[in-house]
Amino acid sequence: MKYSPTATLARIISRWTQMGKKYGIEWWILVAGALIIMGVILMAILANLIAPYNPHDQNTGPQLAPPSQDHFMGTDNLQRDVFSRIMFGARTILGVAILAAIISSIVGIAIGLISGYAGGGFDKILSLVMDSIYSFPGLILAIAFAAMLEPGIISITFAVAVIYIPTYFRLVRGQTLTIKEELYVEAARAVGAPGITILAKYIFPNVIATTAVVFTMNVGDAIMIEAALTYLGLGLPPSVVDWGMDLAMGKKFLPSGQWWLITFPGAMISLLAVGFTMLGEGLAEILNPRLLEH
Amino acid sequence: MNNLLRYIIGRTLLTIPMIFILLSIIFVVVRVMPGDPVSSMLGGHAPEKVIEQKKEELGLNKPMILQYGNYLLQICRLDLGNSMIFKQRVIDAIREKLPATIELTFFGMLITLLVGVPLGAFAADKRRSAQDYSIRLFGIVIYCIPVYWLGLMLQMIFGIWLDLFPIAGRTGARVFVAGFDWSGLYVLDTIVAKDFTAFKDVIIHLVLPSVTLGLVLSGIFIRLTRANMLDVLKSDYILAAEARGIRHRRVVYKHALLNAFVPILTMMGLQVAILMAGAVLTETTFSWPGMGRLLLERIYLRDYPTIQGVIVVFALIVALVSLVVDIIYALVDPRVRY
Amino acid sequence: MKAMKIILICLATAGLIFFAGNSFAKVTLVYGTTEKVTDMDPANAYDFHTWEIFYNIYQGLMGYPPGKTNLVPGLAESYKVVDDGKGYIFKLKEGIKFSDGTPFDANAVKWSIDRIIRIAGDPSWLVTDFVDSVEVLDKYSVKFNLKNPVAYFPSLVATVPYYPVNPNIYPADKIVQDPAALKGGKLVGLGPYRVAFFKRDQEIALEANPYFYGEKPKNDMVIIRYFADATTMRLALEKGELDFAFKSFNPSDINDLQKSDKIQTIVGQGPYIRYLCFQCKTPPFDNKIVRQGIAAAINRPDIIKKVFLGQNAPLYSMVPMGMWTHTDNFKEVFGDGNIEKSKKLLAQAGFNEDNKLKFEFWYTPSHYGDTEVDMAAVLKAQFEATGVMEVSVKSAEWATYKDNWRNQLMPVYLLGWYPDYIDPDNYTAAFAGTAGSKGNGIYFSDPEWDAMFVEEQKDPNEDNREAIFKKIQQMWTDEVPTAPIFQGTLYMFAQKSINGIMISPTLQFIYAPIEKAE
Repeated sequence: MKYSPTATLARIISRWTQMGKKYGIEWWILVAGALIIMGVILMAILANLIAPYNPHDQNTGPQLAPPSQDHFMGTDNLQRDVFSRIMFGARTILGVAILAAIISSIVGIAIGLISGYAGGGFDKILSLVMDSIYSFPGLILAIAFAAMLEPGIISITFAVAVIYIPTYFRLVRGQTLTIKEELYVEAARAVGAPGITILAKYIFPNVIATTAVVFTMNVGDAIMIEAALTYLGLGLPPSVVDWGMDLAMGKKFLPSGQWWLITFPGAMISLLAVGFTMLGEGLAEILNPRLLEH
Repeated sequence: MNNLLRYIIGRTLLTIPMIFILLSIIFVVVRVMPGDPVSSMLGGHAPEKVIEQKKEELGLNKPMILQYGNYLLQICRLDLGNSMIFKQRVIDAIREKLPATIELTFFGMLITLLVGVPLGAFAADKRRSAQDYSIRLFGIVIYCIPVYWLGLMLQMIFGIWLDLFPIAGRTGARVFVAGFDWSGLYVLDTIVAKDFTAFKDVIIHLVLPSVTLGLVLSGIFIRLTRANMLDVLKSDYILAAEARGIRHRRVVYKHALLNAFVPILTMMGLQVAILMAGAVLTETTFSWPGMGRLLLERIYLRDYPTIQGVIVVFALIVALVSLVVDIIYALVDPRVRY
Repeated sequence: MKAMKIILICLATAGLIFFAGNSFAKVTLVYGTTEKVTDMDPANAYDFHTWEIFYNIYQGLMGYPPGKTNLVPGLAESYKVVDDGKGYIFKLKEGIKFSDGTPFDANAVKWSIDRIIRIAGDPSWLVTDFVDSVEVLDKYSVKFNLKNPVAYFPSLVATVPYYPVNPNIYPADKIVQDPAALKGGKLVGLGPYRVAFFKRDQEIALEANPYFYGEKPKNDMVIIRYFADATTMRLALEKGELDFAFKSFNPSDINDLQKSDKIQTIVGQGPYIRYLCFQCKTPPFDNKIVRQGIAAAINRPDIIKKVFLGQNAPLYSMVPMGMWTHTDNFKEVFGDGNIEKSKKLLAQAGFNEDNKLKFEFWYTPSHYGDTEVDMAAVLKAQFEATGVMEVSVKSAEWATYKDNWRNQLMPVYLLGWYPDYIDPDNYTAAFAGTAGSKGNGIYFSDPEWDAMFVEEQKDPNEDNREAIFKKIQQMWTDEVPTAPIFQGTLYMFAQKSINGIMISPTLQFIYAPIEKAE
């Protein structure tokens, strides 16, 4: 069979329109979100190739120049190109957010499964601990963690990861408790299947769908927290390019009229977060229309 | 009634272990921080001997367990210790700054409710229409805008270009705070002191920060209200009300909204947590002299006791608010207790 | 009815005149700053801003006239040097009282100095390093017995730890953090102002002290407003909410305000210096050739342009410009961004493109203002432009930073310095004398240098001291324990209607002569 790019594209578009007809606007929200995310991820991956300048280069042009043909988003006071910094900054924020979400989910799901299945005092205590962390303002805990560790990407990732573990825990534990009572699980237990098998074969697959939704929302949130932490100055050395840090450094130039230093980083953070949220909302509506109401 | 009482007692008792756990986490987090606060306190010139002496004094050489026990005991007595850097009681530092944060949070919540709830109700009413989708989009986008960036944008537009509102602080430079400062809640204080120039000044300083905080959070409330309203609007008694001929507007905004509001109330507990997090960021952007800024400043100074104290107070507030909200919910909705 | 109207009009006019009259009586100045007050106690305050407040609410035995750098008598009328330079007898002015009636006399002076020694706070070394004991000779004569002769002792006496406080009000062995903690709840000294109101991080109100023995200030009250960030302060000034503002502005704000026709700029050459420190005990920085090589790569004009938008001045010696004995030694020997020289020197030490000099370069993000991040980034680029250095930039908040230098964890780091007293000794011995160098984490030690420092501290002959300092600055370019980068220009901005602001290198900003033209 001959594969041509236009044919593939046409097929993708027709499949999408089918889904669109089936699920309505929720599908398009999901698509929009996914496209935004893909765009930013692509930008991050290809930054090396398509960025016009090195983001650390302190001689790219005039100081504090407004957006122009040479510099789409202007230059900063160290004569660096803002557009290039935006492209490379995408790596930092995406890297931290996605990595943190992965860590949170693995840890949260694991202990959620175990706790929900094991039950008893262990479960009660763990639930209490998780509930306590969950009810506490995440940002403040993240600030405390980030400040406690040496400035660097690892510390920020850790700080962001820790605060989302309870989210996964609660979700997975709740589902585990319900599924645990199902007949087929009882049957499996009666036959003598060990706990791990039950968790892995029966409970985990059922939990995955909702977890996926929470994962996307989680990344969206993590992006906001990462940007907030670096904005507050809690995290990264100047050798790392980061949107939050650029925002913090740029804001003192605002009264002098140099708006481009904060407008673009801020817009990018919002855009990326919106992308993940839309993806999450669309996914939620489609997988389980009632999920949002919980 | 018996059930209600039992629920209240049970719920209150539950708060204690929760607070205990939070306090423990806080203790561990703060103690592990690198950076020796004692040498920072004594300046770079101090000799080793003096540093050791100070550490003894502050009890930093005792085993962790003892320090932990001490810490818990002190909190029971509501003694949050003394700041390591400023020789001020932590409780006093917090008392100075807490009212500012409370005021900001209160007005922020007000804006959130005023914007989020009606928009959510309207969207639910006009389900699947263009208005519904635009409102939902607005809700998503506004929540994803970083609070501090929105703050900067509003400062730029309304504070600098249009020069309509001040962009920082709680009062103008020429307003003499000593004249009315009593509780620390300036809106209240200026009314009590009958100082209306100061009152206007305080209100106008509240505008941009509370709008910033409130707008961002309204995104959540739009979604919540809309979701709850959708549920309520499907129910039988709404149908009945419509059938009876009550004006549609009244049905939606009076009967339905009121019923939808109660579950929203229960989310308030969680919302307070989010509000406080948002307040920390808003405070830095608007130079608001509250707990958030206090926390950040003291983190830089490695002032353990104050950092601990601030987080403890945050934890207590959150626990208290969720306790109160849960009890109110129990009072209102009998299903909860049975 | 008509009569009522006339009476009411008369009353109203009278009221207006009465209130109008009252509004002319008080001239209140509002002063903005981003600095903070630390402890309201001469025994422990060791920062720029709190000292500035003390200059206005207290007085020292010696002082400086506003805007000038020559020492003049303050609370003391005169002094005599005895015991071969180890004894100073101060004759105090008579008839001065604290605001509660306590007489100011030699007892108050001795009590205050003993208190400083007893409490041993941060700045106490300015007393304990030099003073052995204080004696009351008679009611108005007090004698300081020094450990060693100190040529610049009178300028030490002009520093805040030597300021007499009221023995009836200040606790003998506790640090006072807040005026409210004092007996009577108010803080009163011997200066032209007293504290009327203080709310930490918000404002402090200083009103003219009716008990002051000298000339009354030209204004009735100065309210200092504390700002969390420079941007807000700049906008408040532009809107007219502040009469004047000082420390610290963003470089972009300074540029804009200088261009504004509504705001007047007052510029002073600050004695504030910034420099690079080397951890002289950590290889390869124990090798002076390596230190020289790094120093050669520093491009000061580039830093000033990029980070400070052209403000501040490049500095080529640890002794600042405007201070007696200053010479531009580093410029002669190294120049700026001298990549050739840097490569040559580092090659001598064995570093080249295949074997790069790799090191950690530290800065502290907020203590010196938020331009530090940029400065570190620019310096990193300058070092790496030589092609033979590989720099990893690290940061630590001030508390940890101080820890790190004490524990010798930072091979190369940025530091800043405000003088305690006006003398080249404060800029040199503090970094290259064995004791001072250790205290600042540099750990440079050379007996020849130490001997020279001891010599200049003892010798009252100015020409001899000058020769020593000039030699030390020359030797500095050889050993390079630290490399000077720039000297801070002080910027103060005020409304056009304000007169009488004078900044001097002594950093004693006095409020009394400031007036507002209507």
